[in-house]
Formats: sequence, C-alpha cells, structure tokens
Amino acid sequence: MESNKKYWKGLEELQNTKDFVEKNKNEFAEPLPMEEVLNEAGLSTVTPRRDFLKALGFGLGAVTLAACQTTPVHKSIPYLVKPEEIVPGIPNYYTSTFNGHSVLVKTREGRPIKIEGNPNCILSKGSLDAKGQASVLDLYDVSKLKNPVLNDSESSWAKIDEYVKAELAKIKAGGKKIRIVSSTVNSPSTKAAIADFTAQYPNTKHVQVDAVSYTGIIKANENSFGKVVLPKYRFDRADLIVSFGADFLGTWISPVEFSRQYTSKRNNTALQGKKMSRHIQFETGMSLTGTNADARLPLKPSEEGIALLNLYAALGGAVIGTKPLANNPNAEKAIALTAKELAAAKGRALVISGSNDVSTQIVVNAINSILGSYGTTIDLDNPSYQYAGNDAEFAEFVNEMNRSEVDAVFFLNTNPAYEFNDTKAFTNALSKVKLRVSFADRKDETASLCQVIAPNHHYLESWGDSNPVEGYYTIVQPAINPVNNSRNAEQGLLIWSEGAVTDYYQYIQNNWAKTVLAQSATSWKDLLQKGSVSLPERSAGTYTFSRELDSVVQTILAESNTLAKGGDNAVELHIYQNVSIGDGKSANNPWLQELPDPVSKVTWDNYAAINAKFAEKLGIAENDLVEIKTDKYTITLPVLIQPGQAYGTVSVALGYGRTKAGKAGSEVGKNAYPFLRLVNATFHTATAASLSKASGTYELAQTQTHHSIEGRNIVRETTLKDYLKDPNSGTGHAHVNHYDLWNEYEQPGHSWVMAIDLNACTGCGACIVACNAENNIPVVGREEVRRRREMHWIRIDRYYTVNEGGNKVTEEKEVEKLENIDNVSVIHQPMMCQHCDHAPCETVCPVLATVHSSEGLNQMAYNRCIGTRYCANNCPYKVRRFNWFNYWNDSRFDNYMNNEFTQLVLNPDVTSRSRGVMEKCSMCVQRIQAGKLQAKLEKRTLKDGDIKVACQQTCPTNAIIFGDGNDPESEVSKALKSERTYYVLEELNVKPGVGYQTKVRNTVEV
Amino acid sequence: MRSISLFFRSVTKSLVLVTLLCSMAVSSANAQDAAAGAAIFKQKCTACHGIDKAVVGPALKGIDTKYDEAWLLKWIKNAPAFIASGDAKAVKAAEYSPAMMSAFPELSDDDIKNIVAYVKVGDVKPAADPNAAAGAAGAPADKGGVSNFMLFGLLAVIIIAFLVILVLNRVITTLERVMLQKKGIAVEEEDGAETKDRFEGLKKLSKNKKFILFIVILCVIFLGSAGWKGMWETGVHTGYQPVQPIKFSHQLHAGVNKIDCQYCHSGAFTSKNASIPSLNVCMNCHNYVTASEKYDGKTSPEIMKIYNALDYNEETKVYGNDTKPVEWIRIHNLPDLAYFNHSQHVSVAGIECQNCHGPIQTMEEVYQYSPLTMKWCINCHKQTEVNHKDNPYYDKLIAAHDKLKKGGKVTAAVLGGLECAKCHY
Repeated sequence: MESNKKYWKGLEELQNTKDFVEKNKNEFAEPLPMEEVLNEAGLSTVTPRRDFLKALGFGLGAVTLAACQTTPVHKSIPYLVKPEEIVPGIPNYYTSTFNGHSVLVKTREGRPIKIEGNPNCILSKGSLDAKGQASVLDLYDVSKLKNPVLNDSESSWAKIDEYVKAELAKIKAGGKKIRIVSSTVNSPSTKAAIADFTAQYPNTKHVQVDAVSYTGIIKANENSFGKVVLPKYRFDRADLIVSFGADFLGTWISPVEFSRQYTSKRNNTALQGKKMSRHIQFETGMSLTGTNADARLPLKPSEEGIALLNLYAALGGAVIGTKPLANNPNAEKAIALTAKELAAAKGRALVISGSNDVSTQIVVNAINSILGSYGTTIDLDNPSYQYAGNDAEFAEFVNEMNRSEVDAVFFLNTNPAYEFNDTKAFTNALSKVKLRVSFADRKDETASLCQVIAPNHHYLESWGDSNPVEGYYTIVQPAINPVNNSRNAEQGLLIWSEGAVTDYYQYIQNNWAKTVLAQSATSWKDLLQKGSVSLPERSAGTYTFSRELDSVVQTILAESNTLAKGGDNAVELHIYQNVSIGDGKSANNPWLQELPDPVSKVTWDNYAAINAKFAEKLGIAENDLVEIKTDKYTITLPVLIQPGQAYGTVSVALGYGRTKAGKAGSEVGKNAYPFLRLVNATFHTATAASLSKASGTYELAQTQTHHSIEGRNIVRETTLKDYLKDPNSGTGHAHVNHYDLWNEYEQPGHSWVMAIDLNACTGCGACIVACNAENNIPVVGREEVRRRREMHWIRIDRYYTVNEGGNKVTEEKEVEKLENIDNVSVIHQPMMCQHCDHAPCETVCPVLATVHSSEGLNQMAYNRCIGTRYCANNCPYKVRRFNWFNYWNDSRFDNYMNNEFTQLVLNPDVTSRSRGVMEKCSMCVQRIQAGKLQAKLEKRTLKDGDIKVACQQTCPTNAIIFGDGNDPESEVSKALKSERTYYVLEELNVKPGVGYQTKVRNTVEV
Repeated sequence: MRSISLFFRSVTKSLVLVTLLCSMAVSSANAQDAAAGAAIFKQKCTACHGIDKAVVGPALKGIDTKYDEAWLLKWIKNAPAFIASGDAKAVKAAEYSPAMMSAFPELSDDDIKNIVAYVKVGDVKPAADPNAAAGAAGAPADKGGVSNFMLFGLLAVIIIAFLVILVLNRVITTLERVMLQKKGIAVEEEDGAETKDRFEGLKKLSKNKKFILFIVILCVIFLGSAGWKGMWETGVHTGYQPVQPIKFSHQLHAGVNKIDCQYCHSGAFTSKNASIPSLNVCMNCHNYVTASEKYDGKTSPEIMKIYNALDYNEETKVYGNDTKPVEWIRIHNLPDLAYFNHSQHVSVAGIECQNCHGPIQTMEEVYQYSPLTMKWCINCHKQTEVNHKDNPYYDKLIAAHDKLKKGGKVTAAVLGGLECAKCHY
C-alpha cells in the first residue's frame, strides 16, 4: 500500500458529517420499522382471542381464494404473412443515424429495443453516448401526439394539407415573409426539400438556431480566415490540449468523437509507447472534461477572455491594452507556465474555448495560428456541419415578426418558446404571425402556440440522411412502422410546395442517386448495409492569423467588466449543458433524467453549483434554496457545493424547467435559458447576477455518497513520470497472504473477466444507460433516489482528491486542515459486480439464490431470492441493488413504464425483476449465452470479440474490455497483464473478476 | 386421464379401421385401377387439378365423356407437343387460362388409364374418413372425463361427512345421557340391552385404541399423500389440451403426410422460439389442398378458416385486405423466468422434437406431453450426453473436462448445464 492519498466522494464524506455517518452505517439507509413493532407498546398490545380467530380465518380464506386462480390462457398469434427476414426470437439490426452518428438499431419482432454505435461510423467507431443509447425510449414515449393537430383539435393529414396550402397560397399572394426556423439542419435531403419549398414560395428563408450556439466560433473563423465554418478538431494529434471552458468530452460539438480521439493519446497503447498527452483545463464550473484534466484551474467567466489574451501575449502575440488577472494570481502563474509548455509543443498543441463570444474565439484562433495548429490539430477544410446556427439571424427573425413582416413560420426540431432567452417577447411576436406550423412530436412550449402541429416521425420511424462532417454522409433508415399518425416534416414541405415527388423516401433516393451515390460509386443497397458513405478527405490547409486585435481586446475588456460588476451579492453566473440532459430536447427521457450527472451525481434536477468558501461567506449550506437574479429573470434553486468551482461564480445547467415536455420531463428543475444574453450578435452563456439565500431547503437526489467505501483504498493513481520509471507504480501491489476458507474451483471452459482502464474512462455515463436498456433496469424516480434506492447495475464512482502545491496530501488529518479544497483532481471509477471467485455474497445467501458458475460468473437466480438482503450487506463493493417495488406496474412510480406501449422497449431476453429481489450486474449473461450458442450453431470456436457486454460495446473510449480470461490471446487477458492492473480490495482475497488499470496523470512538477 | 383418453382413442380407432377395411374390401373390388390412379393423381395432378373443382387447371369430372381415351393419352403424356401438332381439340383446350397443361412423359399408358378411371369413379368416400371418425370418437371421451381431483375430492368429502356424522352422533348420545343423568334418570338399564345387541361390534372397535390409531394413521397418510401430490402438481399442466381455433391435426400432417417438423416450425432450428408457422406457410400447400373430397366438393371448413383469416377468395385466388390473425392457444408455457432456446436443443444437441413434445405425429390435437418442470429439465441435463462430435466449439471444453475427469461421461450437467444462469437471467 504505497499510496495513502485520501479520496472522497462528497464533502459530507470529507467532513464526516453526522448525517453521512448515520446513513452510511448500514448498506440500506432506511431500516425496517422493526423497533416500532417490537417496542413495549407494540408487544403489550392485547389481541383478543376472537380478533385473532377472525384474522386467522380471513387470512386462510383469502389465501385459499387467491390460490384458486385459474392458469391464464396464453395466446400465441403468428404473423399472417411473415416477412422473410424476421424470425421470432432472433434480433435484426438495421443501420440508421442518431445525431449524425451512424448507428445499428437492434429490433426484435419488428420493434427497436436497443441502439448501438455502427463500427463503420467514422465519428464514433461503434460507440455511442448516453443520449444515443437513451433515444430508443423516446420512440415509446406516450407523451407524443397521436394525430396531427389543427387549431387545438385532432385532425387528419388531408385537412392539415388543405389548410396549410390554402394559407400559403394567400400568403404568397400577399407577398409577406415566410420563415422556416430549425435547429442545425445538416441533412442534404432536408436542405433540398427546404430549397424546393423556397422555390415555390420565394419569400421563404431558412433560419437555423441552436439552443446552445456555436455561432461565435463560426463567425470568428469568418473574421480570421474568411471561412464560415466550424472546424474539425483533431484531439488525436494533440500532445498538449489547453481548453478554456470547452467541455469537449461531455457536451462540446462532438463529444463521442473527441473522447475517442482524446483517449487514443492516453490509453494503454499510448502508455506502452511511453507517451501520453497533457491536458490543461481552465474553467468556471467543474465539467466532465475538467475532471479528466491533468491540471485544472478555476477561472471566472470574466477572466477567460483576458486569460486568453495574456496567453497570446506570453506566446509572443502582439496585444495592446490587456491587463493581468489581478484577482487570480494562480491563474496568472498558470497562464505563464501553459505558454511555456505550448511554445515547446508547437504543431502538436491545441487551444480551444467553449465561449460563444466572437472576440474570444478570434483570440483562440490567433493563439492556434502561432502554435501552428491549422493543418495539424485543426482542420478548416473538412469542417464539421454539426452546428450551423446563427444567433443574429434568429434575433432578426423575432424582430421581423414583431414588425408584422412575417406571415408564416414553420418550426422544425426547435423550441424557441423554451430555448429563446426572452420567452415573452417571442410569444408576443409569434402571435402576430398568421400561419404558425410546428413539426414537434408533442405539444411542446412552441407547438402549443401554433395552429398547426404536424408531428414529425421519431428517427427510428423515418427515412432521412445526415452530413455531420465534410465528406461523410449517413442514412436514417426506419426500423419500425410509424407508431402514431405522424409524418416526415420534409414530406409535409414537399406536399405543400407541390413538387413532382412528394414521397420523401423516393425524394431521398433521387437525391442520393444524383449526389453522393454517384460520386462514390455506391449502390443504395450497399449504403443501407453500411449505413454511411465517406468521400475522400480534402487535405487540411495551413492558415495564418494576421489581423489586428485592438478592437477585439476592447470588446473582451468591456465584456469582462460587465460580468464582474461587483456588489454585495454579485456572482458571475455560468450557464452550461450537462452531459445527460444537454439542451433539454430529450428532457422527457427518464433514463437520462436518472443518469447521475458525471460530476455532481445529481439526478432529476438542476441546481446552483457554488464554491465551498464562497458559500461559507454567503452563509449558505448545501441544499439551501437560493435566488439567482438578473434584471430580467429570477429563479430559485437548491445549492450544491461543488469542489473546484471558481470562487464568486455560480453554475446552472440548461435543459431543465421544461413546462410541456411530457410526463417525466415537465417541471423538473428550473429553466436557465432566459439568463442567456445576446451580445454582439451571439448568445453568451455568462452573465452578471446576484445570489441571495431564499427561505427553505430542497434535498437534491444525489447518488454521490451512496455506497460509500468507508475510506478504503480502492482507486489507484500515479503520475506519468512515476509510471515511466516504474510501470507498477501506484498499483499498490504488495505481497498479500492468501489464506483460503474456500475450496479452489477450476474454470475449465471459459472464464469471463473484465478489465477497466481508469485512464481511458472519462466518466461520461454512456455505459449506465446502455446497461439500463440492455438489462431492463427500472427508473425509480427522484424520491427513491433520495432514499438511496437507485437501481443502476453499473455506477461510476467519482472521487475527489486534493492537490496542494506540488505535494500530494497524504494524511487524512492534513485534508481536514486544508483550507483550499478547490484545487481538486478527480478520478472516475466504473463499479459493478466484480464477479468474485470467492464471493462474500454467495456464502451468506440462505437460499442459494446467488451462486458461482463454472465460467466465473456470480449468478443471481431472482426467483430463488427471498430478499433477506444479506448479500448486499456482505458485498464489499456495494454493487447489489434491492428491488423495492414493481416499478413497471405501480402507479406511484409512473415515470414511464406503467403502460404496455412503453414496455415494448424491454429486452425480451432478460427477466423484468419483481419487487423483493436482489439484482446486480450479470455481465450480460444473455449476451454470453447468445454468443456461445452462435458459435455452437456455426460449429466453430468462440472468437475473442464475439461477445461484447453492453457497457463495453457503447464505451466511446474503449475503457471497458470483456472477454475470456482462459484465452491467453484475448484482448482482456492482454489488458490484465498490463503492469498497471490492480484489483479493488485485493487484500480481502475475494478474487474479483474485474481488474482495473491505474489512472496516470501527466503532471508537471512545479 | 391422458392414458384413459388415449386408450379410448386407440380402441375406437382400431374398431373404425376394422369396419372400414371390411367395407373397402367389398366396394373396391371393381376399382382396382382407380385405386392405382388415385395414387398417381395425388402425386402428379393435384397441384393443378381437382376432380370437382377448378384449381389452377379445370375440374376434371367428366373428361372421360368429353374426350376419348386416345386423345386423353396423347394430351396427358405431352400436351405442348400435341397442341403443336395442330389437333383442333387440343388447340381449343390450350386456350384455358391461366396455365398450360404440363407434359408428363414419365406416365405409361396404363397409368393414364388408371388416372382416368380414378377421375371417373372419384374418391371412395369412406376411405377418407377414419381420422375424422376417430377424432369424433376421441373428443367426447375426453370431455366426458371426470378429473382425478374431483373424484378424490368427492371421496374425501363423503368420508369426512361420514366421520362427522359418526362423531356428532356419539356426542349427542353422550350429551343426552349426561343430561338425563343430571336429571337423575338412570338410562343405562333402559337402552343397555338393545344397544348392546346392535352396536356391540362397533363399540368394541371404537374402544380398541389400536384400531383407532390405525384408522387415524390411514387417514393421515391418505390425505397427506393426496395433498402432497396435489401441491407438487400445482402449476404443472401435463396433458393440457386447449381447444384451438383451427382443428389442425399433427397426426395428419406430421404422421400420415410425414411433413418435416422444420417445414412449419422453422424457428426451432435457428431461434429461441420454435414459432407457429405464419399462414403463408399453410398456403404453400392449402392453395390447392382443400380436402374437398371429404366435404362433398366443398373446401374443408377448417381450411376455410385459413382463407378467411387471410381474406383469400378461393374462386378468384385474390387476397383481400380484411385479414384477421389466428389466435392459437399456447400449450407449452414456460414461466417468464426461465430462458429456453430451441436451437440449442434441436440444432446443437440434435434432440428429436418427440423427446419433449411426445408422439406429436399421432396427436390429433396437441397436448402437453412433458411436465416442463425444472426437475424434468435437470434430469435430462444430467443424463443426456453432449453432442460434441464435429463441433469445434466443444473441443477445448472437452479437452479441459477430460483432463479433470479422465474420460467420464460428458453430460450437459458436466459442462455447467445445471448452473442457474444457464436458464435464469
């Protein structure tokens, strides 16, 4: 045990608060009310003989009657004419596209049940994020419209078409403007359909606006290099990454792609080549990316632009008029050091900023130009089309409506009544438009202001295409017939514009035949098989920044002054997207709502994250309600004390506070969009606000300190320097005496084991949602999470540890004395059943419901389980979950599953557990069995990689490797042979089947 | 009860068969060549022709009068050549749509004569009926049966009632005696003489403690074992034979016609589910097999159910849109908590369908043959050797096993077939 570094999951654990100690005494926080029954009053209660007999008689009778139930008759209804490709019981996979990422849709008997990344996808390489995994549940959302709506009553498509066409004809004659407002459209066919519509109605303009905008970067590139593009970033070519508030592993532009690229420089392969990239993060709130950084510095939003200017100056750029960061000497020092490192890594470095301010992004461009990033780590010639929104155009559109210049507006995949910063102004302006059409699939905030709601298909029901990055085209293919009476939005546009082709499927085929298929010599069938077409990449040119920065400096300084306005309760408010809910479009997805935030581990709510010392100064404690106020908008939110949050700032997540999202997502948290400010033609995510304590408290449903590990040394880390000296460093390998109480059992056939690379895991949580979907894990809701009853089989433990100066704090007492807990670093550790060979849970089960298999699996037979919960109490990893209720059939937990329609998403190969049983990770035993059976049917040996467990399959960074430990050539065997491998709580000699590899930090000694 | 109904069935079947054979012997003396013709007809002609009914080709009744034998010989043997030769009648016959008569050069003149003879005579009615008769005889025997449970129940109720009466009688007499004694009336002497005579034996027995003990033990054993048996059979539905929406006979399809199980239940070889065939599979044959010979030239009402479900018009051969799915009743129900995969057992292990489903080829209506209990599964896993020959998947496992056990019997159980997560997940 060489490391005694103190790790903690939450401040309450660090400070050992009374409540925390009390709740962690037992595996189950809430004891059964035995005392109430067995107290003196309870025991001395007299039950008269007659009452006793009555109860006995009634009980006996009731039981007898209940047992008299006849066996239900099961109907079995075959297809009348079975489609050739469907065999009941065997899944089919179809290619489709989610959010620009090519995916495979797993269908059973014609209904999609799981989404997986398509290995052919150049962005994801077969992985997928949490949102993509969860998107299948949106298909079965009961909050969606069943029929199109005309003037608030259900209608038919014929009537809608008649009405819209008549209105459009009138508007065309009147000559006023028509606007199609959408979030970014990168589908070539949708663009063509809009162009056709525009040709028919020449006053039409397509306005793109994204809820979370990247206009700043696009405008800055236009300004700096004359290219109106969102560049393609190459994290896999960067040895040094410096990010100013860009959460590129969590939410920024293309997180799945970036995570993969980023990890390729930090995973086992990279380390074995004795190399690892270095990542420095300057940011306000603790983001997922910040938790992964080698060095992280809290920085206020007002300081970000100045810091970038100073960095530019330190790199030799010509800046006049900038000033040092007087209030943040640490940052000033760090900027100087970063400049030195960057200068040494020219051509291999990348500087990015999450700001949407054009001026700030121009400075970033200038820095990257000095570093020679263009052509190496930044590619302006193969741009990304994932975001193309233009904030100014949207603002202008609202003005046009206000001036009554617009007669018709169509909303496609956008919800300005919720996402625009001035809802009231938008609503007023919209009311002046004659024809208002929304393509929303539900009556959301904007759609409820429209006369016509023409519900669009879910992507799993529709044809479509996408062009997320230059030269990469993917196809959206339906995997199920439309469930509701919905229709492609594009089809609507085609019908209303009375084009020659009104069938959108035909339209797409024609479009592809003319363009991509012709260019790439691919057939339509090949396209459907592969899912995408890649055209050859253009060569990335080098670009040099050569503009004056004077006006930019002035704008940045002025903006900085606005943000840091000072005053008693003044704070700088930082608005961000979190990993699970994002911009709030899929707020009605309970899987995402219950996915703990990767950093704060809060579910089902947003909150005001503030710094511990700042909270102390304001006299605010965790869970206190605070009022966040600007001159335009006020919200009240519970406080979360966030280690690493910049002093004097508060961070609030977007995407919450939807009022018309649906059953699960409405009225969850508070809407933060109105805090956005339109400055210099872009929406800014930072604003000056005041923070004051409001009355009352609100308990956040936070999973962070559930399943505490009692201060045991279970996460291991080392530094790159130490690793290079000794690859074993940090693993804590020491001689452990193995005394066995158990007999040794051989695993002659397969031995299923897992390897998890802590250096590759970014903590994004995709695995949790993938596991939910694969294993029918119920959503329990906010109240149950508060009671520590979340059901996730895999969790990602997030540990904080403190860095003080160059010396790591080693003794617990020192931690307590520490004043500054802002300088924290974080480790994410996925934790699930370790499938111990000497499993402590198995020995204590009185009914042998959990036993070991000859393949090394810790099996759980639900129907044997009587719910004593001994196993959970005896599990040192705290990975067993007790099923308290029938969550899929109990009106108290009406999150989503209490209807037969949504239940169609369940995986038919996995039992839906009933209440009163224990459950836990099975290592996707259904996939193991299916993989083995496939090999047997094909009469071949089982190949490594035939079986992929759900969490492994979706992991964007390949942090989880599963396989047969008896096969020395398997990927997992090789991974477990790495010197970095250690087993959690190895000293207990429970022989876990999951090996972890140490986290390596590329720290630089000061 | 299953055995009783089966017994009934086999008895009635053999009886019917005997009578039929007798009547056949009488009636079929003059239909020697017609019988041979029938066989050829069924083999070669039924794909396109019916006797009374147009299928793809025209109905054949009356061809023997319409055409002379020589013409028919030429026509059936090689119609295309015959038409090409320019025979007027043949050219006219060729106008029939939608299909052309095929050539059958393999048929001898005698064969063709036999076919024509068969067409002339038509189906010998009774010969087609044994199955229907047997079915009809079998069904009432089934439905009239009284279940074991009811019999035992009735018996138990009678015994209990008897005991209760006995005990109550005793109690009443004792009480009466006590009351009378209280009133000071001596009773012994009054009744003594008579009762002694009547119930002397019984009284003696009732005072015999050993006898009483014996009776009590007998009752406990009887009721206990009945209860025990009843409890074990709770949820076990061996013999479950629901009435299906279509009276589909496995006996006819799998038994008589020897259609391979795979033809309809293709899923059993590739998938978890054996799958009930969709109706398009039925229509592969029942497009022209209408069993009309048994129903006076009309399509069998059971086959009509297929047509109705598909909204298929027999006359025009057109499928409509008013389709209704057939709601079969599932006979073999495993609980949701047990995962069973047909392909593992059928394709990998090579187990015959009959191992679990019983003599399915003899079942007029399917019933559940095996208990489908976990004990039943486990027993089979313990006894059945793994079919590992020529399957490289097993090579490593068998080698590892041999190293441990030195050539013992490799049953499913030995390779982990008894472990929970093999079936429960």
